[in-house]
Amino acid sequence: MKTEISFILNGSEVKVTVDGHLRLIDVLRNTMGLTGTKEACGEGECGACTVIVDGKAVNSCLYPAHEIEGKSVITIEGLHVPKHKLSKIQQGFVDHGAIQCGFCTPGMIMSAKALLDSNPNPSDKEIREALQGNLCRCTGYVQIVEAVKRVARQMKGKQ
Amino acid sequence: MNNFRYIGKETRRPDAPDKAAGKAHYIHDLRRPGMLYGKIKFSDHPHARIKHIDTSKAERLNGVRAVITSNNSPEVRLGFLRDNLALKKDKVRQYRDEIAAVAAIDPDIAEEAVELIKVEYEPLPGLFSPREAMKKGSPLIHETDAQGRPRTDNLLPLRFHHESGDLDAGKRAAKYVAEGEFSTPRVQQCCMGTAGCIAEFDMNNNLTIWAKTQIPFLAQRDFNRALSDMGLHDKNTRIIVPTIGGAFGTGLDTHAYEYIAILLAFQTGQPVKIVYTRDEEFAYLSPRQSSTTKIIQGCDQNGKLTFRQVEVTQDNGAYTSWGATYPSVMMIPATSLYRVSNVYFNAQLVYTNNTYCQAMRGYGNPEHTWALESNMDELAGEAGIDPYEFRMINCNRPKETTPMGLKVSTCGLKECLETVAKKLDWKKKSKKGKCRGKGMASLVHVGGGARIYRSDASGLILKLDDFGNVNAFHGGVEMGQGLHSVLTLGIAEALGVRPEKVFINPLDTSTCPWDVGTHASRGAFMACNTAILAANKLRDKIFELAEELFPQEVEKNLEKFRKKNPGYKPPDFDFVKAAKRERFDMQDGSIFIKDAPREPWLSLDLGRLLRTIHFRTQGQMLTTEVFYDPPNELPDFEKGFGNISATYAYGTQGVEVEVDTETGEVRIMRMVAAHDVGKVLNPPALKGQIYGALAQGVGYALYEELLSQKGKILNPNFRDYKIPTVQEMNFPVDLEFIETNDSFGPFGAKGVAEPGLVPTAPAIANAIYDAVGIRIRDLPITPEKILAALKKLKASKD
Amino acid sequence: MRRFDYLRPKSLKEALQQKKTIAGAKFISGGTDLLVQIKNRELQPPTLISLRSIPELATIEINGGARIGALATISDIIQHNELGLNYPVLVEAARRLGSVQIRNVATVGGNLCNCSPSADMALPLLVLEAKVRLRTAKARREIQISEFFKGPGESCLSSDEILTDIILDPPHQKAKATFLKKGRVKMDLAIASLAVLLEMEGGKCRKARIAAGSVAPVPLRLYKVEALLEGSTVTEKLAAEAQRLATKIISPITDIRATEEYRRQIVRVYVKRGLEKILG
Repeated sequence: MKTEISFILNGSEVKVTVDGHLRLIDVLRNTMGLTGTKEACGEGECGACTVIVDGKAVNSCLYPAHEIEGKSVITIEGLHVPKHKLSKIQQGFVDHGAIQCGFCTPGMIMSAKALLDSNPNPSDKEIREALQGNLCRCTGYVQIVEAVKRVARQMKGKQ
Repeated sequence: MNNFRYIGKETRRPDAPDKAAGKAHYIHDLRRPGMLYGKIKFSDHPHARIKHIDTSKAERLNGVRAVITSNNSPEVRLGFLRDNLALKKDKVRQYRDEIAAVAAIDPDIAEEAVELIKVEYEPLPGLFSPREAMKKGSPLIHETDAQGRPRTDNLLPLRFHHESGDLDAGKRAAKYVAEGEFSTPRVQQCCMGTAGCIAEFDMNNNLTIWAKTQIPFLAQRDFNRALSDMGLHDKNTRIIVPTIGGAFGTGLDTHAYEYIAILLAFQTGQPVKIVYTRDEEFAYLSPRQSSTTKIIQGCDQNGKLTFRQVEVTQDNGAYTSWGATYPSVMMIPATSLYRVSNVYFNAQLVYTNNTYCQAMRGYGNPEHTWALESNMDELAGEAGIDPYEFRMINCNRPKETTPMGLKVSTCGLKECLETVAKKLDWKKKSKKGKCRGKGMASLVHVGGGARIYRSDASGLILKLDDFGNVNAFHGGVEMGQGLHSVLTLGIAEALGVRPEKVFINPLDTSTCPWDVGTHASRGAFMACNTAILAANKLRDKIFELAEELFPQEVEKNLEKFRKKNPGYKPPDFDFVKAAKRERFDMQDGSIFIKDAPREPWLSLDLGRLLRTIHFRTQGQMLTTEVFYDPPNELPDFEKGFGNISATYAYGTQGVEVEVDTETGEVRIMRMVAAHDVGKVLNPPALKGQIYGALAQGVGYALYEELLSQKGKILNPNFRDYKIPTVQEMNFPVDLEFIETNDSFGPFGAKGVAEPGLVPTAPAIANAIYDAVGIRIRDLPITPEKILAALKKLKASKD
Repeated sequence: MRRFDYLRPKSLKEALQQKKTIAGAKFISGGTDLLVQIKNRELQPPTLISLRSIPELATIEINGGARIGALATISDIIQHNELGLNYPVLVEAARRLGSVQIRNVATVGGNLCNCSPSADMALPLLVLEAKVRLRTAKARREIQISEFFKGPGESCLSSDEILTDIILDPPHQKAKATFLKKGRVKMDLAIASLAVLLEMEGGKCRKARIAAGSVAPVPLRLYKVEALLEGSTVTEKLAAEAQRLATKIISPITDIRATEEYRRQIVRVYVKRGLEKILG
């Protein structure tokens, strides 16, 4: 059974027709061709598919596509506006050696963004709680946590 | 001491911005026009005869383009001993055996079709431990070898053995002896990006395959052989390596799924993609081998080691991959970690009906160091010597040759031990009331390539263009570790250009020179050595051309400069006479005379030189190719002798833990890691390598185990296979890099990709012993094991 | 195939009607458990009826006590100031449930209806003696949460019934509660968990409520332990007796996550630690 849904994707309204069993990640990667969002477990354990829906980090692999009707979705592709320049948080990950293979990176950055949007001055504990749902096998997380702290400081300094 | 412009400086990875933007393309993201999706039907039994395969329903499903089995497709052999078939016929030997495969227009249809394939089996008794499999009269897992010769037991025909000195004399000389049996589990590499490939044929029957591999050129050889098996003689494979989402050893073999994609692509005439789901990755990709190590060591009354005896048994699983050669690496610590003169080492590999295993980071070294460094603490205890002092007494030194014939060039082990002792306040005992304790463990690993194949070489092509850009073509694989970052820096440093002008091209066997593979921590060592060779060749050529072009071009510079600066008086320097090749240097793409005054006009831009030679009559362009084979030797593994690597990496890790004696939980309070890296190439990348390896070491020590019951994987998902999250890595890690400036190392550097996880588990186990007096000998160290050991300890005291 | 239809009724009435007429349909709330079960073929419903578009199901009301809509997410609970002030143990448990991404969609009602013995939200609600409101197209009922769970994956809900609200009595001034959870790593399904609530008066335990997770077919109230403590001064000796009794009542199993013996040990330790934590 196909249904048309409309939602805001990275700031622009889109309409797509979806089957009942499709997940948000299927719409993003297959229908919209936004392959920045990664699938690494398909059951909400690894966080590679994290996107932001109405301001909250969610696993797009466990999000029924139908539920996105009328909501606003931000993916990794929506962070760097204008398109040729990385956002502060993305740049922070680049600058502080927080990226290795990069497969967890988009999800990790989306979780970090959701955190900093709601809590611009997070403690070490709060950062770890926000990122505990994002697995990384390459970095041991040290430089990721450091990057988030530095970006938070940098953004605070700008205000 | 060299003064480097880029080496050792904080620099960003060239691939990071695209990865941060979600623009890096992994196999999961790639599509080819007309592409079909492949899916594999795996075995329902660990050991059984295949009686009948019914694919009729699957074939009839709408959207299915091909269903293949061993009945309707050519026999393709694979594996280190070629004991495996892409599609099994007659018999299955493990749950993950590939019986059939489907290609369909979408992944859902492919999955549905696979479920419609019905297989009839005649179950056979299964063997799930080396002990069972080695018993006399056990059923044979392989009745014949790859050549069809009958087999009589379940032992692999691979011998890894070493004897040196006089073991009996060593035993007689020992005043103290410690003996233990240590085991390690199967663990999964857990690459965040799962395995996959796309296979595509052109109308000349040549194959292109986008593959997640660490060995593109050995894979080319393997796939070409498969094409022959398919009747496509003299046909070629082109391998393109997309962005890789972590590899950690998984890419050291070619896999059945790749051959199946090739068979499906040939059958359908369309590109076929197979990508593993996470469950498939856990259950159907080869994990790290499990091992059991019996070790006995002895020392004299002064604590000097007098002998070491090691016997390893490895559960190989049902087929043989490169990973079966783990003992080739185990020999390195067995013979060469700490000074010991009378050594016996033997490894036995056994076929079982468990999942077959393959390489993972460290390649036998973490398994062996687990036993060795735990046992070192036990022996220190027997001798009544502090574990740190005990290690210092037996510490390796530079310029020594070890029992295996390893020629140690530089060795920072002493400094590593001292650093850890100092930073961990070793002499200051932990607060006992809180059940805290400290432990340390060291490692030695190959740091200058590792010759496990006829060639240990690596090539590099540098192609310069009209704009002074340097296009690099290299056969080493970037899989997240930062190879392209160090190669960029290496080229920029050695050639004398800015890193932004260096472009590393995607790895493609049709354009990149041969490389044996990115394994054994050899990536940076090899890449930067090729960079130096290639840069030197290019600089010779550039400076030769500059002899001719420098005076005329600089003359033009001077004229322009004078026009802008009337009255300018150039310094008294005869640049025409000075323009000799040996007097030139180049930095950041600017060619100048070393001893000339620094005048803005007195240099020649590399791009201008390149354009000048390009566009003049009988023009030319500059491209160079080098091939670097390191000064090491292929050991005789049956005798256990040979200098496998050009240089060796050392390191020591120390840890303080707190043990909850009621719940059995181990909390890591802090870690110190000191590694002899030769020379730091890119500090953030190097730190990332060690931090990441440490996390894998912590997982290996405390959490990870691929559980199986009668060959079936019980926890094929992250719900029940736990790797450390940011919460588990919630302790300070103090890194210290010891720079020994190795003469074989590029810019002095050694390979360091694997060492970070090698000593982590024994360091933690040693700290647990220090904290609560229990010795855990089988990984992972779970709370249950801690509580059981504490109970036993209490009972023995009562 | 893991295909299914997906319906998004806008009212409770519509949802109940759909459930009645569509054979094999299942309700979905946050879906963080259900969609994994479907992916792993443990369930193959032809239709999912989403409760996420029914506004009244998602609200939280403080009215002396509290009414928590079944569709309130775990994050809603964590972020609700008054709820946190009045029932801190609820937030303590919510903070140990999954990742932020999971908490942002997983619902308290879903956590209960999934009926896992390890359900993190069940334990604080058990010790707070919450009531749950259930509704069919025709009837409403309110039951004690302790009567809700029937077995692993099994509740007392009939096939056309919905859990709509969780009702909490006003907090007792002297009540103090805590939640303890053991996983293999920090973020994990509980391999054993415990919630303890005590009301102390004049040095004596006036009221004790204790519940344990992952150690029985359902999230379990330890009534006998509660009775042992009530009316007494909690001495070291009594605590030890409570520990012993607790490990006797529970019926843990060995699975790939932990052994029976280990689960018992954790409950033994957590009874002591829970009491200590509250009594200071």
